[in-house]
Amino acid sequence: MHELGIANEILGVALSEADRHGAKKVSSIRLRVGVLRAVVPENLSFLFGHVARGTAADGAVLEIDEEPVRVECPSCGIADVRSIPWECPKCRGAGISATGGDSLEIVSLEIDTGER
Amino acid sequence: METGGKVRIEVERSILQSADEAATAIRALLAGRKIYALNMISSPGSGKTTLIEALLSRFAGKGGVAVVEGDIETEIDAERIRRCGVQVRQINTRSSCHIQPGQLLRVLSEMDLSATRLLIVENVGNLVCPAEVPLGEDTRVVLLSVTEGDEKPLKYPLVFRTSDILVITKTDLLPHVRFDVSCVRRAARAANPAVEIFETSAVTGEGVPALLDRFEALAAAKAPRR
Repeated sequence: MHELGIANEILGVALSEADRHGAKKVSSIRLRVGVLRAVVPENLSFLFGHVARGTAADGAVLEIDEEPVRVECPSCGIADVRSIPWECPKCRGAGISATGGDSLEIVSLEIDTGER
Repeated sequence: METGGKVRIEVERSILQSADEAATAIRALLAGRKIYALNMISSPGSGKTTLIEALLSRFAGKGGVAVVEGDIETEIDAERIRRCGVQVRQINTRSSCHIQPGQLLRVLSEMDLSATRLLIVENVGNLVCPAEVPLGEDTRVVLLSVTEGDEKPLKYPLVFRTSDILVITKTDLLPHVRFDVSCVRRAARAANPAVEIFETSAVTGEGVPALLDRFEALAAAKAPRR
């Protein structure tokens, strides 16, 4: 349920950006969420819908792009995986490095300015 | 402008921005006062409070230790630390499963930190949420007791990715449990190649002096004796 805090933070950023751009309504929010963040997209969308009720972001759709962990193996090169492995997923060798997968960002918003 | 007044705007902002700002304020406060800060994270019952008691037995006599305890409910841990004779505050997070930097900033602003050299923050027992929220600490410490199982770095990768020191605790129980220390070391290093790993037992005292030496060196580097 740590998605509740995250949903509140998303709402705060979305509403302040919407306000800054004079928007009447936020229709969608694109997020970049690393697989290491243990965010369940369904939980986040459900809780966001709840906290956004009655705000300019009421009914906004969360578009969640998952960011994988990038594993670099000295012999096999680069592979994208969903968790930090302790060995190369291909050759089972040690000496790998794992980066990324920890993003938690709002990429963009789709807003409605009410102008035509 | 698109039809219907719909516009896509680029934001590229961290979702945790307000927390990040509070953490930056804490970092500035600690830097200004030359206070070295630890953020202790683990599951409930891994030995955070016991490690803090060991730290106090080494540092309290040298003056200037302050402790902030985080728990969902109760003052039990704060009472335990208060008996060691140091300044302590309890944060009860209620429905929240970690200390928020804003809460810590408020508590620090109420404490007398004029003589403080070392600040120890004990986070709420939880391997998930505390990992997401920097508290402006110098060193993040994750504790893993051998009774919890050696797969924890794989199950809770973020906390192992973001911690500077891993302390494997309760090593006196190793003969009684299935826990492969070398697997944990390998997984922790895959998550964070720079992590420093210590093995300790509060019962036998094994490994504890080496860990305390390390904390003392880190504290001395930031906060020279006054």
